[in-house]
Amino acid sequence: MKSLRIGILLPLVLSACTRKPAASGQAAVPQPPQSSYELRLGRATFEHYCQTCHGETGGGDGFNAFNLDPRPRDLSDPAFQNKKTDADLKDVIQRGGAGVGLSSLMPPWGKTLSGDQVDQTILYLRTLRKR
Amino acid sequence: MPLRRFFALTSVAFLVVLAISPAKNALRPYRAFQRKFAALGAVRARSAQQSKQYARRPIAIHQIWLPGLDNRVDRCTTCHLGVADPVMKAAPSPFTLHPWTPHTPGDFERFGCTSCHAGQGPATTEGQAHGTAADAGAPLLPATYIEAGCGRCHAAVRVSNAPQLSQGRAIMERYGCFACHSMRGREAFRSEAPPLASEPVKTGAEWLRRWLKKPRDVDPNATMPNFQLTEREIEELSHYLFGQEVPEELARRVKAAGDEPPGDAANGKRLFAESRCISCHTVEGKGQGSAPELSKIASAASRGWLLAYVRDPHAFNPRTPMPQYHFADSESRDLVAYMEDEFRDFDAPKEILEPLRVNRTLAEAGEKTFRRYGCFSCHGAQGARPAEKFGPDLDGIGDKRAAFLDFGRRTDLPRTLTAWLAAKVASPRSFAKGLKMPSYGLSAEQTRAVVTALLGFGAQAVPEAYRVVPASLPAPIPAGRVGQLVDRYRCLSCHQIGDRGGDISTAPLTFEGSRVQREWLVDYLVLSFSIRPILTERMPIFRMPREEAAELADAIETLFVDPRVPEDPFQGHPSSDADAVEGERLYVGLGCRGCHIVGSGGGYYGPPLNDSAARLKPGWTYAWLKGPQRWRADVRCPDYGLTDRDALRLTAYIATLRQPAAQPKGAK
Repeated sequence: MKSLRIGILLPLVLSACTRKPAASGQAAVPQPPQSSYELRLGRATFEHYCQTCHGETGGGDGFNAFNLDPRPRDLSDPAFQNKKTDADLKDVIQRGGAGVGLSSLMPPWGKTLSGDQVDQTILYLRTLRKR
Repeated sequence: MPLRRFFALTSVAFLVVLAISPAKNALRPYRAFQRKFAALGAVRARSAQQSKQYARRPIAIHQIWLPGLDNRVDRCTTCHLGVADPVMKAAPSPFTLHPWTPHTPGDFERFGCTSCHAGQGPATTEGQAHGTAADAGAPLLPATYIEAGCGRCHAAVRVSNAPQLSQGRAIMERYGCFACHSMRGREAFRSEAPPLASEPVKTGAEWLRRWLKKPRDVDPNATMPNFQLTEREIEELSHYLFGQEVPEELARRVKAAGDEPPGDAANGKRLFAESRCISCHTVEGKGQGSAPELSKIASAASRGWLLAYVRDPHAFNPRTPMPQYHFADSESRDLVAYMEDEFRDFDAPKEILEPLRVNRTLAEAGEKTFRRYGCFSCHGAQGARPAEKFGPDLDGIGDKRAAFLDFGRRTDLPRTLTAWLAAKVASPRSFAKGLKMPSYGLSAEQTRAVVTALLGFGAQAVPEAYRVVPASLPAPIPAGRVGQLVDRYRCLSCHQIGDRGGDISTAPLTFEGSRVQREWLVDYLVLSFSIRPILTERMPIFRMPREEAAELADAIETLFVDPRVPEDPFQGHPSSDADAVEGERLYVGLGCRGCHIVGSGGGYYGPPLNDSAARLKPGWTYAWLKGPQRWRADVRCPDYGLTDRDALRLTAYIATLRQPAAQPKGAK
C-alpha cells in the first residue's frame, strides 16, 4: 500500500518539479529580442567607428591597423574581456587611450558618441569574445 | 407569503446582478499586476521613502492620451508599469524598464507605445492589447521587426538608430521594388535597368538564354531577379528581343566601332586601372559591386557594342549611373582590346555571341510574355513610362489585416501579416500557381530587413508634427553648361550634393567650395590621384579637359560654400594662436597619426595630410576641427572638443604640410 502510494506520488512530485521551473522560466524570460535592438545598434556603431582598426571580429586586425604602433588591442581575447569591466571599457572609449595612460592612437569618443551608444557598443563587444 | 418570498428572491437576484460588474472589475488581471508591481517596487526601492511610495500607489488604469497623434489612447502602462522607472532595470516582464531607444525614456508622453509597437492601445487585457486574439486589429509588432515602427514617421532611406530598417529600404531601392509596386512618396522612382532596344547588336542568343534563366548565375551583382521562366518562355522572349528594331543611330555606332582596327591591350590594362572601373564594377568579385561584374563581359557583349558603349553610355541607357569618360578614340579601343583579351568566359561555347534568326510567331508570343511578366516596368523604352504600376499597390502594406491576405497553399504559415510578408519576400510564388513576382534570392538577414521596411509603410500618414522628412540642403545644381558637366561625369552617382546623390564617395560636395583650394581642384579633376589609397572606391581619371575642370571648379567655388566656414580663421585672434610648432605638438599628442599620414608614417583611414597646404582652405580645417560631425553626421573623425586656440594651432600646422618633393603628384 505504502509503495503504491509512493509510486503514485513520486511521478506527481517529479513532474511538478520539472514542469514548474520551465513554466515560470518561460514567463520570466526578459525577452532577448528586445535587447537585440540595442545589440544591433551596438554592432552598427562598432562596425562604423571601431572596425577600421580593431577588425571585424575585434581581433585588432582592421585594415587601418598594420601601420600603427602599438597595434590596436585584440578585443576578442578572453583574458582581456575578463580583466576589463564594462566601466573600464566605457572609460577608455570615452576618454581615449591618452586618458587612461595608454596610446593616444585610440581616440576619445566621448564627444562623438553618446553614453548610450558607448553602452550598446560594449554590449556588442562582449559578444566578440573568442570561445 | 408568496409575494414576500418573491420580493426576497428578486432582491437577492438584483443584488447579485449589481455585484457582477464590480466583481468583474475587481478580478481583472491588471489589478494583480499592479499589486505585484507594488510589492516588487517595495523590495527594489533604494530608500524607505521610495519603498512607501510604491505601496501607496492607487490601483487604477493608466493611460497616455495623444490628441495630436490620431487621438491615440495607450493604456499599456497599466500593466507595463516600470517602462520609465530606472529602479525596474532588468525586472521581470511586464515590469521591466524599457530598453534605450532614441525616444525612450524621454518621450513616452509624446509618442505613447502603439505608435512604435502597434497593438491595441485602449485594451486592458493582454490578449486584446497585444492583438493575439484571432484577427484583432493591428497586432503587436514582433520584436524582430521593431524598427518598422521607426519607419512610420521617418521617411528617409537611411534612418539613424534603425540599421535594419535602413538596410531594408536600401535593398528595396536597389532592387527596384517601386518600379512595379506603387508607394506614396516613391512615385518618381525609375529603374536604372537598361532599355533593351540595342540588345540585338549587343549580345548573342546563347548569352541571353543564360541570363534569362538565372541572371545571378551570369553576374553575381545582377539586380534583375529570377523570373523562373520555362525553356519555352525563354525562347519566346529571346525571339522577341532579337526581333526588335534597333534605333538607327545606335546600330550605326556599334557597326562602325566593330569595324575599327584592334587596340593595344597593354595600354588598355593601364587605362582600366587608371579609370578606377572597380569603384563601381567588380572584377572577379573585387570592387564596389553596384555595377556589373566585368570578368566575363567580352562574352556578354560584342566588341562593337562595348566600344560604342564605353564612349557614350548615356546614348544606350540614359539612366545609367556610369559617367561618360573623355577617352580618345584610340584609348577606348585599347581599353576594349584589354577586355577582349582578359574578360572572357573561357568555358562558354564559341557561339555565345551569335545572333538569333528570328521566328515571327515565337517573337509575337514573346511580346506577350514580356507584358505578362511586367518586364516593361524596369526595361521601359526611353522616356516611356507605364501608365499603371504592374504589381499590387504596397501603400499601407504594414497595416494590412491578416484576414485580407491570401495564404493559398501556404498552410504551414501562422496567419499573421509578418509571417505572410516574410514568406512572400523569400519565396514569392509559393502561395499559388500562376503568380508572377520573381524571386530575389535574398539572405535571411536581408529578408528580415525588407519585411521590416514593408511593415514600416503605414496605411495613414502620420500627422505633420511627427513626420521626419530629410531636410533639403540648399545646394543648387546649376543648369546650363555646368549642369551638363555634372550630368556627363555623373558626379551624383558617387557624391552627395545637398540631399541628393549616391553614397559611394566619402566626400560630399555640398561644401566643397569652402573646403578645397580652386587651383588644387582643377588639377585634381584633370588628373585625380588617390586621396585614400586604401579604399576600393576612388575617383576615376575622366581625362577631363582643363577648360571643363576649370568651369566645374569655378562653379563649386561659387555655389558649394557654407557661411559657417570663415575666410580667414586667424582674424581677430592673437598671432600666438597661429603657432604651427605648438600645432605639431598637438598633432602628435592627440594621436591624429592613428588615421592620417604625414610624411610616410601614420594610419590609412583618414586622408593623408601631406598636401594640405595646397589642398585645404585653412578656414575649413579650423571649422572641421571644431566639430567634424557638423559637416558629416557619420564621419569617423572623432570630435576632440578642441578649444579655439588649439584648433587654430592645429590648423596652422596642417597649413604648413607640403607634398614631400621626392613623391611626384599623381603617384599612386
